[in-house]
Amino acid sequence: MSAKAAKWIFYLGTLISLLIFLGLTVDTHRQVQTLTHADQLSEQVVAGKRVWHKYNCNDCHTILGFGAYYAPDMTKVYWRRGEEGIKAMVRTPEKLTTWRKMPHFPLTEQELTDLVAFLKWTSEIDTHDWPPQDAKLRRTAQAAVAMAVSPGAALFKDKGCFGCHRMNGTGGTLGPDLTHAGGRLSRATIAKILENPRSVNPQGIMPPPSLNPDERNQIADFLAGQK
Amino acid sequence: MPATHPSQRVAYPYFVVALLLFVLQVLVGTWLAVNYWASLPQWLVDVLPFSTARAIHTNLLVLWLLLGFMGSTYYLVPDETGRELLSPGLAYLQLVILAGTGVVGIVGFLFGWTKGKPLLELPHPLDYLIVIGALMFLFNVGMTMLKARNWTAIQGSLLGGLVFLALLYLFDLPFYRNLTIDWYYWWWVIHLWVEGAWELVAAALTAWILLKITGVNRAVVEKWLYVELGLFLFTGIAGTGHHYYWLGAPRYWLWVGGFFSALEPLPIVLMLWDAWQHVKERQIPIRNRLVFTYAIGMAIFHLVGAGFWGFAHTLPQINYYTHGSQVTAAHGHVAFFGAYVLLNLTFFYYAMPELKGISRFSERRGRITFWWMCLAMLGMGLSFSISGVLQTYIERVMGLGFMTAQAQMRFWFAVTWVLGLILLVGVILTVVDLLTLGPAPHADERA
Repeated sequence: MSAKAAKWIFYLGTLISLLIFLGLTVDTHRQVQTLTHADQLSEQVVAGKRVWHKYNCNDCHTILGFGAYYAPDMTKVYWRRGEEGIKAMVRTPEKLTTWRKMPHFPLTEQELTDLVAFLKWTSEIDTHDWPPQDAKLRRTAQAAVAMAVSPGAALFKDKGCFGCHRMNGTGGTLGPDLTHAGGRLSRATIAKILENPRSVNPQGIMPPPSLNPDERNQIADFLAGQK
Repeated sequence: MPATHPSQRVAYPYFVVALLLFVLQVLVGTWLAVNYWASLPQWLVDVLPFSTARAIHTNLLVLWLLLGFMGSTYYLVPDETGRELLSPGLAYLQLVILAGTGVVGIVGFLFGWTKGKPLLELPHPLDYLIVIGALMFLFNVGMTMLKARNWTAIQGSLLGGLVFLALLYLFDLPFYRNLTIDWYYWWWVIHLWVEGAWELVAAALTAWILLKITGVNRAVVEKWLYVELGLFLFTGIAGTGHHYYWLGAPRYWLWVGGFFSALEPLPIVLMLWDAWQHVKERQIPIRNRLVFTYAIGMAIFHLVGAGFWGFAHTLPQINYYTHGSQVTAAHGHVAFFGAYVLLNLTFFYYAMPELKGISRFSERRGRITFWWMCLAMLGMGLSFSISGVLQTYIERVMGLGFMTAQAQMRFWFAVTWVLGLILLVGVILTVVDLLTLGPAPHADERA
């Protein structure tokens, strides 16, 4: 190969790659508006992102798969745990972790609410079905709901109950399996738990779900029917 | 031939500071490994979170590698241009600013003073100080080259890489409202550094060292330098797309990232082949065999860590399951060690004896610690990878919980920790060796 050819490889190789990259960057900026639902990127979400940075969450947790690999990925955490689940973990990590621990961080209630807004917005970014385990959870949860169509079942999914509870093999393992909840607990007990979990089990770690009385009744009906 | 230009001496303190930070970096790394397998008490986790230690580990890495590159550049430039550095005083001041900023930053991390972006945690105004330090460096090096008017491809590659490096850092400075855009430009710093700007610097330093130790024809070395740079940039720039698969960007990045990054091993293979050819066809006798060992070891480890380990999980079909797992950690460790740690050490083993006026140094200790470090890091790469495969299967394929997978990986974290301790000892011995180099016992100093 001549020295001249070598120089051509350098100039052309660099230029071609650079042009492709910059061109696609311009187009990506356009498409990201839709892919990330940028219209829902409120001031509260941005405030939550600042909280995320302030406490250096990203040097233990990944988000979009980036960061440190020490703790679970936060991209779809809102699907797994819901608002109350996230808040409980930040407020009382010592109750919800085992051998690998999460530190206490002095978040104010406002910061915590902002952080949840940020994570909720993040969970709706179109990541082409990544991460696989969360995509699978959402698919099976939707299938489980479709099997037992009722407003209570839909609420059970939307309120993030699957984050901690399993039904028919789907969901988290932090709380008890509710596949046969109606066989073990009366409807009245279920309703009481939904209003204030500690009134039934004072040692429990379940945070009080934010439900209005109608929603509470519908979920209680649904669960009481799972014999 | 000892260093002939007095201003090359500014390189020495850069090397010393870099080496001390290297030891500290690996030390903190072993603490991180403890966090992975042990169950620490809550009070300790509250006082020193993993996140803080991790920020220290990664920032020390970046800082010492950059200081090493800068020192190497200051050593190379007077020799290559035939002219003294514009201002040695400015170079010392720059070292004080950069090292001082690093120390303040690390102490700040301990008190929660952070920008909260992985690897780029240095908060305002410390990051501006880094920019000032980088500008002083570019001014000093650039003006020396400009005044010398003795351009070579090595100088061009080096200066181009350094300017590119500094420009890219600017993308770290703004606050991005959209998380996806934030990470999009985070990779302009991180990926385009390690697979772009730093490769330019590395290729220039490697070419120069090969020229010095083998005495082969400059035209041949520089010709291959052009080809390597062309391939590095062709695959590396658009190859940034392999980080854009799952962050909320359009789907075409799966094709672009997959295609270009699949080609990324090519320039590294060429670099190894090219280094091997030059060594085989050397025109001058070998003075210090250890420098050759390091140069070839670096080229091989670069290919293994960046090339093979990178290729293993760069295709989107695989990356869907391995992204953000211990597989990434495995690749990161082996690649940084192979590509940039060994490059710096190669340069130090070439330049530090010259700066001390030692023609042939005693290399028995250095040879042992070279193999010690390389084997320890290879072992770490494997144990990280086993953890990564377990995590990929249990968490990503089977869909079980994060901690369920971590419990199964715990044994391999402990193995990684032990290997990390072995590495730490090897690193300390290497640094001691470099700082106390002496002449070879039977060397004919005037040979």
